[in-house]
Amino acid sequence: MPNPQNILPTGYNAMNNEESEPLSFSTTLKSQFALNNIRIQSNLLSLTTDTTTYVNLARYLKEHDFDRCLTISATDWLDTNEFEIYYLVHNLKNNIYMKVAVRIPRKKPELTSLSTVWESAAMHEREMWELFGITFVGNLMLKPLFLEDWTNLPPLRKDFNWRDYVAQEYYKTEEG
Amino acid sequence: MSQILKAIKTILGLAASKPMTFSFPPDMPLTELHRGRQFYKPELCKGCKICSMVCPNNAILMVEREKSEENKTGLQPQIDFRKCCFCGLCVDNCPTGALSFTNFPILLTMKPETLNYTPEMLAIPPTLEHPEPPKIKNAVSWARSRSIWIINYMTGCCFIEAVPWVASSFDMERFGLIAVGSPRHADAMIVGGYVTPKTLKRIIRIYSLIPQPKWVISLGNCPMTGGTYWDSYNTIKDISKYIPVDIWIAGCPPRPEPIGVAVVHAIQAIQGGYNGKEEKTNTDAGKMKLPTYTLLEADSGQAQIDLVFGSQHSASGNFNMSLTLDGEVVVDATPNPGYLHRGFEKLMEYRTWIQNIMLVPRICVLDGASYELAYSGVSEKLASIEVPLRGQYLRVIQAELSRIQSHQMNLGFGGAATGFDTNERIIWGDRDQVLLLLEELTGARIYHIFNTIGGVRRDIQPDFHTKANQLISYLRKRLQIYDDLFFHNKTFIDRTQGLGVLTQETAIANDVTGPNLRATGVNFDIRTATPYEAYKDIGVKVVTATKGDAYHRFLCRRQEIEESLNIIERALDKLPSGPVCATRTAEDKKITWRLKIPQGEAFHVVEAGRGELCFHAISTGENVPYRVKVRGPTFGTILVMFPKLLHGVKIADVPVVYWSLDQCPADHDR
Repeated sequence: MPNPQNILPTGYNAMNNEESEPLSFSTTLKSQFALNNIRIQSNLLSLTTDTTTYVNLARYLKEHDFDRCLTISATDWLDTNEFEIYYLVHNLKNNIYMKVAVRIPRKKPELTSLSTVWESAAMHEREMWELFGITFVGNLMLKPLFLEDWTNLPPLRKDFNWRDYVAQEYYKTEEG
Repeated sequence: MSQILKAIKTILGLAASKPMTFSFPPDMPLTELHRGRQFYKPELCKGCKICSMVCPNNAILMVEREKSEENKTGLQPQIDFRKCCFCGLCVDNCPTGALSFTNFPILLTMKPETLNYTPEMLAIPPTLEHPEPPKIKNAVSWARSRSIWIINYMTGCCFIEAVPWVASSFDMERFGLIAVGSPRHADAMIVGGYVTPKTLKRIIRIYSLIPQPKWVISLGNCPMTGGTYWDSYNTIKDISKYIPVDIWIAGCPPRPEPIGVAVVHAIQAIQGGYNGKEEKTNTDAGKMKLPTYTLLEADSGQAQIDLVFGSQHSASGNFNMSLTLDGEVVVDATPNPGYLHRGFEKLMEYRTWIQNIMLVPRICVLDGASYELAYSGVSEKLASIEVPLRGQYLRVIQAELSRIQSHQMNLGFGGAATGFDTNERIIWGDRDQVLLLLEELTGARIYHIFNTIGGVRRDIQPDFHTKANQLISYLRKRLQIYDDLFFHNKTFIDRTQGLGVLTQETAIANDVTGPNLRATGVNFDIRTATPYEAYKDIGVKVVTATKGDAYHRFLCRRQEIEESLNIIERALDKLPSGPVCATRTAEDKKITWRLKIPQGEAFHVVEAGRGELCFHAISTGENVPYRVKVRGPTFGTILVMFPKLLHGVKIADVPVVYWSLDQCPADHDR
């Protein structure tokens, strides 16, 4: 049983370092990865990057106390024909949230899996695989999670004509 | 020895005190503010159609009536109670006050079409009619009617209001009803809420296993019309297409009273010789057929067997887990969620920012207030709206009351999982008192829809302080009883201590949050780490424990109830005066139900009853969100951590570990 004090100082209160920690961490990141588009909103750092940095940064963050992977999620941008995929991670020691996003073409939705970096990432990627149809290379769990016998387009994609599907599937007998 | 004497003393004390059970029928424990059936005043209506446009459920249809001086279009609202979720947007937005709420909750029928109320029907004040009971047909029908065994199938949120019937507050056993786990022992099935295709397959199976004669009671709007999820890609719109249903109860969710009235009606019909509708099932040409399970043969030489836990199990919730057992020890576990996947993230892209507030609490029925809070928070961040201080305080009071009832629910489940029903009945009985206070505050027991973008929808009643203080002192006394019966009870301690131990490293790595994480000794609570609303002013003492086992997770929640009571007391003491809701945005636009939110994206994190709840919203400047991501607190805990935690656990302890993690299947399925 590890001593809790080894992980977090007693009387830990993130309110005290709310201002300084995210700022100093973003400076470190800028120099390490040549990033120049980090946005700071109170204790959330967010940035958009390329696919290589997406993975390298994940490894770096994991080594620097970003132990909690809160989610991996996607947004379907039909206007630019891209998927935006991001991970949101949290540093418990300094109470910093970090969102790292990457844009990939809709035609070939493939990205390296982060399941080897964070244990909880695999399940989130599985959800995105099911709901958006994005393949995460290296994730061994890619099979249906919520839906059973789903044959249509992945439902959370913007081009899935949802109302049409519902009308066909559930209301067709009433409407004749 | 002294502990046993203490427990006996507590039991005797309880036996001597006033019973907790509400009388039935009249004397309904209703508050004036409950949002029940609407009342319509035709003389005030202008026929403006706003109510039908604002309704997120398409429940209001404007029908043509005679034109008049006041009502130039001649249109009047017709409300379909198969769809209405009583969110109150129509009443709030009605410019003349022609629509208002009554506190009448009882809407049930054997023919769903009759729930479509014309303007004339809405103009009649509601009354409860007790039909003349039919004559008892014979001894068999009388015996049947007095001993209905009910199968538990917690398909969805409405089951939350069937729970008080198990507790001492409503106590279904006085009607001769007993909840059973096996369909082969049951007479009646309650379909508790919305049905996804995945659940429907299991419902058909369960229905066909119940022996004749059988009855089906359906709770809530979703099994009738899809209710709130009328346009969801993963919700069945009308279950009567698949199995026959005898009684339909409308509401979202219905209060416990209509469920009681339905049971009384059922008893009367059965004693009169009603044997249910003709048995039939429809698998929609095989589409709704259950997938076959491959079970290992007993003589295959292998010592391990596969066992399916859930989704219809008294202790599983609507969640399914496939376990591999060696003897009675679990060696492998695979979760199979999705029974409650309604596609919230998609639904929200089709409703305006304000309409979504009535949708979000439905993500997790056990603690809806936190979801309202997180969603309003993220919208306010995007629109740069400052919530008035009094509004923030009221939000804190609502969220803490909701946390208390959520933890009480969990402690009750803890009792049920350890075979300790006394605990479940007492704590759930107390939970009803909290729900009544929540109704005093917000207008509803479960889905409060109290928040809106900019603040809260209304101020407190003058007597709220007195009622809240009464409840606080009542619950403080009751916590002592929980300790005597439960936390100091050697049987319970032996059953839960050292079980399902989480270490800090594994908990953090697997994204376990909330009381489960704090029970391992990590001092992390969003209310202090990233304070929101008025928590910085009010102050929060973070509750932690050290061992990280099932016992300490339950204990953490018990202590949090105490801390929440302190928070509510402090908030009420310091409650500032002023408005409760902002009316204009930072750009000085009026906040209406069609509010457009400026382009941008935002995150908002709150501490829900189950832990860290995170909303991410993207706006493209429209009156609907472009994308909303909900990251619920149980996703990591249940889908990632729980299966690993089960390795080496005995089969009888699986429900204990499960409920000690405070599961909400609706939350991770969304």
